Amino acid sequence: MKIAVTGKGGSGKTVVAGTLARALGRSGHRVLAIDADVNPMLGISLGLGPEANERLVAARQALDAGELDHQPTAEGVVAAFGADAPDGVRLVVVNRIEHYGPGCPCCGLNPEGLVEDLDGAGRVIVCDLEAGLGTVSRLRPGQLDLVLVVAEPTAKSIEVARRAARLAQSRGRVLVLANRIRDAADLEDVRAALPEHEVLPIPEDEVITRADREGVAPIDLDPAAPGVECLKAVASHLVSKPVGI
Amino acid sequence: MSTRMAVVGKGGAGKSLVAGTLARLLAQKGRRVLTLDSDLMPGLALSLGLGAFSGASLAGAVECDEQGRWHLRKKIGPVRAVEEFSIEAPDGVRHLQGGKLGAEGMAGIVGSVNGLYEVARRVGKARRFATWTILGDLPAGTRQVAYEWAPYADTFVLVVEPSWKSALTASRIAKIIRSRPGATVAPVANKVVDAEDVERIEAILEEKVAGAVPLDQSVREAERLGVAVVDHDRRAPAVKALLALVDHLCDSWPREGL
Repeated sequence: MKIAVTGKGGSGKTVVAGTLARALGRSGHRVLAIDADVNPMLGISLGLGPEANERLVAARQALDAGELDHQPTAEGVVAAFGADAPDGVRLVVVNRIEHYGPGCPCCGLNPEGLVEDLDGAGRVIVCDLEAGLGTVSRLRPGQLDLVLVVAEPTAKSIEVARRAARLAQSRGRVLVLANRIRDAADLEDVRAALPEHEVLPIPEDEVITRADREGVAPIDLDPAAPGVECLKAVASHLVSKPVGI
Repeated sequence: MSTRMAVVGKGGAGKSLVAGTLARLLAQKGRRVLTLDSDLMPGLALSLGLGAFSGASLAGAVECDEQGRWHLRKKIGPVRAVEEFSIEAPDGVRHLQGGKLGAEGMAGIVGSVNGLYEVARRVGKARRFATWTILGDLPAGTRQVAYEWAPYADTFVLVVEPSWKSALTASRIAKIIRSRPGATVAPVANKVVDAEDVERIEAILEEKVAGAVPLDQSVREAERLGVAVVDHDRRAPAVKALLALVDHLCDSWPREGL
């Protein structure tokens, strides 16, 4: 099963991807987490901590530096350059942009190519995408089982979510996660803008805010926090549906 | 300080809010302001008070050559591009943006996006805008900084909220910008609750911030409604903090920049 997480910057994509990956790993699934953001942060929400996250090697830079003799397969990339996160989750960072002149974005290893080449059978691949919709727009149709669109109840975030849902429809089934929901009106704002999609609420949660401040995984800070419980429920909901696993 | 600025930072840190509000406040002080929005997602137009405007204001300014490359049409330079293809936002701010990514994917907007890149490369030196303030709003993260989407900017307003991800993103961005001489980075803390939040940001960035904007219920309401915070609540604490930042910037501007 291949899942991608998209949405506006700051909507909570990385917390969603990281917490889902940890919850799925904890309940016994084989999980591969792909950090497809060129500003990678998924290691933090997976519980590796900010310092370890900064030390993670990105596959593209490692390949460009000639760290392997031969062009590896997608599985080879994961084996060679991946890192282990808690609950048995394997993490691979695709590409870091940290200097001027980072090279051609379409040549060499890129997230859409890696996701397409990896086999989703027998495991869950959770792919945390860069803010905006660039990667989704470059994925070929039918490449994903599920696209999670994360939306906060703000005009900007909802507008990005509408665009994401429209663009993602041909790439996989779309499920909208309405994040940081405080009341019925918040949820209604998101639902009204996305009437043809299933929308699940995730409550605003002080634990998740604190986890972000402290640079830890919400599931490590308090696995029983309302937002974390909700994401755990989403995780079991996803794998209970007959969509390729 | 500068009249050539770009606002950068992690997604959700408040870049568009800061860019849109600074633009409006500067215009209210009598400056000519041009905003450049290179985000493929809508955002700045809402914070400027333009509502849901999401058209590519440059779509009519570009053409495709035989090699399939898009660029500004013949006889359209950065000045004409701004004069003919920017739209007017409240307080007389001129706003120029490329296309916003929709259901048709990159194919639908590649022309205007390339046109905006060309404008960004040349507009800062155009004599027509010598006395204008140019304010760019870059999308989330490191990508557009590294691909030099704001070559006009000599000052990068780096918006940071008190979270590890936001502060680490800011560190990465600051490192890229400072790898070349000449550019100034002005970190601005946003969504600040207390002094500890500012200290937390400064500890990760390993430098002092140039300003701090409080977490503000009025901003939250404005964001929810999709309106400019200066229109929603002129007296909001966040607006006051940004006004102080503007005053600080104005005071230190050289006279010939006015």
